[in-house]
Amino acid sequence: MADNIIEIRDMKVKYGVHEAVHGVCMDIAEGAITAIIGSNGAGKTTIINALSGTVRREGEIHYKGKPLTPKAHRVVHEGIVQVPEGRRIFPGLSVEENLLLGAYTIRDRKLIEKLLKDQFRIFPRLEERRKQDAGTLSGGEQQMLAISRGLMSNPRVLMLDEPSLGLAPVIVDDVFKHIQRIRDEGVTVILVEQNAKKSLCTCDYSYVIENGRKVMEGKGQDLLRNDEVNRVYLGADRDCQWDPMQDTPQ
Amino acid sequence: MSIQLLISGISLGAVYALVAVGFAVVFSVMKFSNFAHGGMISACAYAAFYFQRAFTPPPPIYITILFSAAFGVLLSLVIDTIAYRRLRTKQSPNIYYFLASITMSILIVNFLTIFYGKNLYAFPPIFSSTTFHIGSIRFSSMDTLILLISLGILAILVFFIDKTRVGLAIRSVAINPQVSKLMGINPDVTIMTVFAIAGALAGISGVLLAMKLSVYPTLGSQMMIKGFVASVIGGLGSLSGAIIAAIFLGIFEIFLTFYLGSLSTPIVLFGAMLVFLAVRPSGIAGRFAQEKV
Repeated sequence: MADNIIEIRDMKVKYGVHEAVHGVCMDIAEGAITAIIGSNGAGKTTIINALSGTVRREGEIHYKGKPLTPKAHRVVHEGIVQVPEGRRIFPGLSVEENLLLGAYTIRDRKLIEKLLKDQFRIFPRLEERRKQDAGTLSGGEQQMLAISRGLMSNPRVLMLDEPSLGLAPVIVDDVFKHIQRIRDEGVTVILVEQNAKKSLCTCDYSYVIENGRKVMEGKGQDLLRNDEVNRVYLGADRDCQWDPMQDTPQ
Repeated sequence: MSIQLLISGISLGAVYALVAVGFAVVFSVMKFSNFAHGGMISACAYAAFYFQRAFTPPPPIYITILFSAAFGVLLSLVIDTIAYRRLRTKQSPNIYYFLASITMSILIVNFLTIFYGKNLYAFPPIFSSTTFHIGSIRFSSMDTLILLISLGILAILVFFIDKTRVGLAIRSVAINPQVSKLMGINPDVTIMTVFAIAGALAGISGVLLAMKLSVYPTLGSQMMIKGFVASVIGGLGSLSGAIIAAIFLGIFEIFLTFYLGSLSTPIVLFGAMLVFLAVRPSGIAGRFAQEKV
């Protein structure tokens, strides 16, 4: 396996007095898809929020061998970008403006043009709607836009938070295909998902998080065959993990 | 006659627009009404007045405008630093910003009153003749100059907000500061940029108002009420809405003053605003500075 691009050592996150993540250690391999799975409220999102600097953390994170800045906007300049849960595109701005915001850290206009063309090649839908208010896109289109917006920063590491949330199954398949394509283009992907089966099928390596602790790790294929994982996360209702009561975006 | 009234109205409206936009740009990002804007306008008017008088012969008007804009930027950043920044880091509720901005406004007006008194200072005249003719129509030189400057500044501002990278960053922070961070935008810097823009606008409108009226401590606060009305009618936070509303307000006011006199005008004006709010509370632009998602 390739070198680790990110190393997390004994990372803790507190919300007030409540500790949400208790001393987690993780390695993220360069050029691979690393999935973080676990049930709702396990602390998965908190972990990548800590990486992106949107929540305060303790412990160490090394990125390319150096300590990672805790400031959210600097993290993006370093090449780590987060596609937030619930997509969080900018309504009221056009599709194109959303994409240009993704490229905010890039000064080179030619590179921005090229990245924009790349996104439009991959998602022709976005080109058709480039002047349209992004808030009027469908859920699936918004997810594509959110991923594209992340890629517009030309990142080394792309962190996706629940990209399949609230999407129709056909579109979910599509999203996961795109995630693999992004990896194949050389971008390291960190994937946070409740859809454990899909994630394990897609990822190269996976961590299982429960109650703010890492409870298991291994290659995706190995975890798929693991009895414990099967029982807890892929059990009888493996096709019903998308529970609208639980997963409604805030 | 009515063409002259119209020009005069548009000219007044364009100054209101400068005030309203300075107000709206802060509102759109910070979601609070920056009442200190009025105080800043007065302070800038005094700064411009003394700057203009400090040299013999007086400097060309564009130098004074640049000076006043720079003074406004500085003042705005100072106000942000002493009044708002701590509230921001503590994530205080909006009511504190409201209080802080009103306090700043009153403070500035009172400082000005202590140092310069309540006298009206007339701005030194810039034109040797107060009017000029095109064909048979007589134009006021001052109104025309003010109109041209205001429209020019508004055009630059709209271009800046709509077409540039920094403008886009401002709009994204206005929609969602948290997600903007994920784009690599530093919201603190963006907010300071917004205050700098508001300060520059206060500086420019301060000079123009001083030229049009005269210099006195409550100059800005009085004008700010009109600017505030325009930005509310325009749809708080919407720049284009504020500009359109301000220009209509100016025209409306000039015509009302001509036909009804200056005493009854405010009653009709503010009455109309009440009616407007009841009919269309989201403003001309039709959307109340979209609430964060």
